[in-house]
Amino acid sequence: MSSVIASRYPAEYSKIEATLPGGSQPWLRLLRAEALKQFSGRGFPSLREEEWRYTNVSGIEKNLFEPRLEPSVHQVDKDWLENYRLADCWQIVLVDGYYSAELSNLEGLPENVTVKSMSKLLEADAGQIEAYFGQAVGIDEHNFVAFNTAWFTDGAFIRIPTKTALDKPMQLLHIVTDPNRLATTRNLVIVESIAQAQLVETYVGTDQSYLSASVTEVFVEQNAELTLYKVQCESEKAYHYGGTYVKQSRDSRFSHHNFAFGGMLARSDIHVDLGHASECNLNGLYLGIKRQHLDNHTRINHLEPHGISREVYKGVLDGRARGVFQGRVVVAEDAQKTDSEMNNSNLLLSNDAEADTKPQLEIYADDVKCAHGVTVGQLDEKSVFYLQSRCVDEETARNMLTFAFANEMVFRITHKSLHDLVLAEVLKRFPQQGITQDWL
Amino acid sequence: MSASAKEIEQLIGKEYKQGFVTELEADTFPPGLDEGVIYKLWKIKNEPEFMLEYRLKAFRHWQTMKSPEWAFVKFEPIDYQAVSYYSAPKRKEDGPKSLDEIDPQILEAYKKLGIPLDEQERLAGVAVDAVFDSVSVATTFKSKLKEAGVIFCPISEALREYPELVQQYLGSVVPTGDNFFAALNSAVFTDGSFVYIPKGVRCPMELSTYFRINAANTGQFERTLIIADEGSHVSYLEGCTAPMRDENQLHAAVVELIALDNAEIKYSTVQNWYPGDKDGKGGIYNFVTKRADCRGENSKVSWTQVETGSAITWKYPSCVLTGNNSIGEFYSVALTNNYQQADTGTKMIHIGKNTRSTIISKGISAGHAQNTYRGLVKVLKGAENARNYTQCDSLLVGDKCGAHTFPYVEVKQPSAQVEHEATTSKISEDQLFFCQQRGLSAEDAVSMIVNGFCKEVFKELPMEFAVEAQALLGLSLEGSVG
Repeated sequence: MSSVIASRYPAEYSKIEATLPGGSQPWLRLLRAEALKQFSGRGFPSLREEEWRYTNVSGIEKNLFEPRLEPSVHQVDKDWLENYRLADCWQIVLVDGYYSAELSNLEGLPENVTVKSMSKLLEADAGQIEAYFGQAVGIDEHNFVAFNTAWFTDGAFIRIPTKTALDKPMQLLHIVTDPNRLATTRNLVIVESIAQAQLVETYVGTDQSYLSASVTEVFVEQNAELTLYKVQCESEKAYHYGGTYVKQSRDSRFSHHNFAFGGMLARSDIHVDLGHASECNLNGLYLGIKRQHLDNHTRINHLEPHGISREVYKGVLDGRARGVFQGRVVVAEDAQKTDSEMNNSNLLLSNDAEADTKPQLEIYADDVKCAHGVTVGQLDEKSVFYLQSRCVDEETARNMLTFAFANEMVFRITHKSLHDLVLAEVLKRFPQQGITQDWL
Repeated sequence: MSASAKEIEQLIGKEYKQGFVTELEADTFPPGLDEGVIYKLWKIKNEPEFMLEYRLKAFRHWQTMKSPEWAFVKFEPIDYQAVSYYSAPKRKEDGPKSLDEIDPQILEAYKKLGIPLDEQERLAGVAVDAVFDSVSVATTFKSKLKEAGVIFCPISEALREYPELVQQYLGSVVPTGDNFFAALNSAVFTDGSFVYIPKGVRCPMELSTYFRINAANTGQFERTLIIADEGSHVSYLEGCTAPMRDENQLHAAVVELIALDNAEIKYSTVQNWYPGDKDGKGGIYNFVTKRADCRGENSKVSWTQVETGSAITWKYPSCVLTGNNSIGEFYSVALTNNYQQADTGTKMIHIGKNTRSTIISKGISAGHAQNTYRGLVKVLKGAENARNYTQCDSLLVGDKCGAHTFPYVEVKQPSAQVEHEATTSKISEDQLFFCQQRGLSAEDAVSMIVNGFCKEVFKELPMEFAVEAQALLGLSLEGSVG
């Protein structure tokens, strides 16, 4: 066992410590100190850690990404940003790790819904945060969470009060504008009982190398329903870590749609703890081209009886891209009558692409129905032949089928402008986009 | 297959029947392991020069290694200095030359196990190499095999008589430093079987080895090496038992299979080491490295295993599919009951073109047992048109047990097709109800369903093993049904 190379980041911490929010809160100071200590010990996760065996993040240590010390929005190209703003949505914009009220748009948001900057709320009413912070994920999860806990500069706090249904989605737009920037946000989303909401997390950045490392804790309380979309379109040179940690109470419903398009190296963690008779749907699509490395890590913990989970992840890998899927379903001893299905399919389009997949079932209860399936392969030759027999040339046939494979995840999006944005991103990554668009 | 219900019912309620101890005078090394012990071992076994080097190299490497912790099993750390690394039934003079000279008590012991060595010659059946504690005690049918040119003998004998052959292949599939237990085995292995099937020969009978740990406080480290030369075919069976003892005993074997062009090896195991008692006391730690190298074109290796014994099983019979068009197969039934733990599965490494592999794994977990399937399917860049199909099903009997599935799939070749499917469920109420409605008792119904669940694997076993496997399954399920 070779010793782990010490991280260069802890040494920089003293420079920013004073500027970090929540310094007046003893509980947060303590938590940050613990997180820093843990992070200093081992640095970013290494390939030796089972959950990271396919994803090498040592590149983060090669560049020393620097956090912005105070919020600024002057550098934001507003026209460029418009491309990613969804129509018919409320917007919360986070620039380089800071909440920007100026760029956000919360017009017409029902008054009882709370949307606040984490840093502001930590000063005004930290109690609201303390009750939830770190409850869905602890720093012992892995060192990205510890890093985020110690380093986070800001984030969004969203609370949908009980018996409230939002009639349009809320978009959480994370943008990074500078080269070599470190953007670390921490978000809290609370959907109270019998409330209903849709949330879209969008990650974009200008064409630079940077690190975006965010953690979002989500609480879906009794009988509530939340649909969360994550559209990751980071720059091709960027590193991305996005962790979503969800706690579901009794009878709640949670759906997640995860689109991984951008980033040189992008890792996404989605962990869901299911309460009694709650339901969760995890959908994902990763499209890797060039030298991209896209890692999707999911974990579904069935902690109580009668839970239902469904998971479908699809990957299309071209160029020298590498796609990783790691999905784990854990059924605790008491979680009888659990019903769980997981599926991961991968399409390899080039000789240099690689798919690594690791679906896992860990079951401690007997009265359960659990299944998982994995495929890695090419397009079905019979389908290609069928199309050819209908006078479609081979290349078009292959493109059509590849598109159809990916589109299965896209057409599930019900919101029009979000659907169009995702579709556009998908088409951008297809080789013969002209042909593809013709038959849409 | 209709033997199942009744036989199983009879078997349920029986204790571990192989749990007797045979009182024998034995030469046993005092516990402990250092280079001196290895030297003594080498000396006592009268091995060629290169073996000393081989063993010491493995031992030195082993000292730098740590016991692996990634497997889904829990056990107290093993004190490797408290184990005796050599125990041989005491021999008169130079040891037995024929069956008549073998200690009748050993023969008796084997009889209890159902391998009547002396009857073998009359039964036109299986040639048996029996390994008792650490040394091979008898090899039957030697002369007949010799006629066909097949070498089937204890590995210690092979080391003396065919040192070049052994040197060429030993450790070429499982190198000395492969893993913690393989390194330990390479350093201290005492005996095992050696098989060489010459070019174009179809082995006239099934070969078989029976392993038994008898002495207390000993570990068994056997080494099996099977080489199937071009165009040959062999079917090899392996069975294991051990007496009931309160302490845990270590069994760390290494099996290497080499299949050259157009050769085929079929390796079947019925593993029934003592699993410990109802409260999880005692039992064998079965930490085994098994690997096959399909070196030649169109070669084929098929692993079939029925794992019902051992307190802990840690075993991944693997296939390295080097040759073009080679085929690897893995059929497994792993049954765990009471406090048994099994972490087992396979690795299929596709290197050659048009290589194919099939994995069928059935796990049954009852009582407080934990049963894990862990497998790797890896398709390297050159493995054009590689094909894998994996199916792992788990059956849970009782609400205190666990069943886990950890497959790893790594594909670097776009023309490869890899499929993996897994399901976990309990015996469905509908199935039970249907059987009961047809007049079967609940227990019969469960046995029948479990046997049906494993049928895909049992049909791969040679006949006599299939019957034994079915019976074992019922026996191991004892107390968990109803």
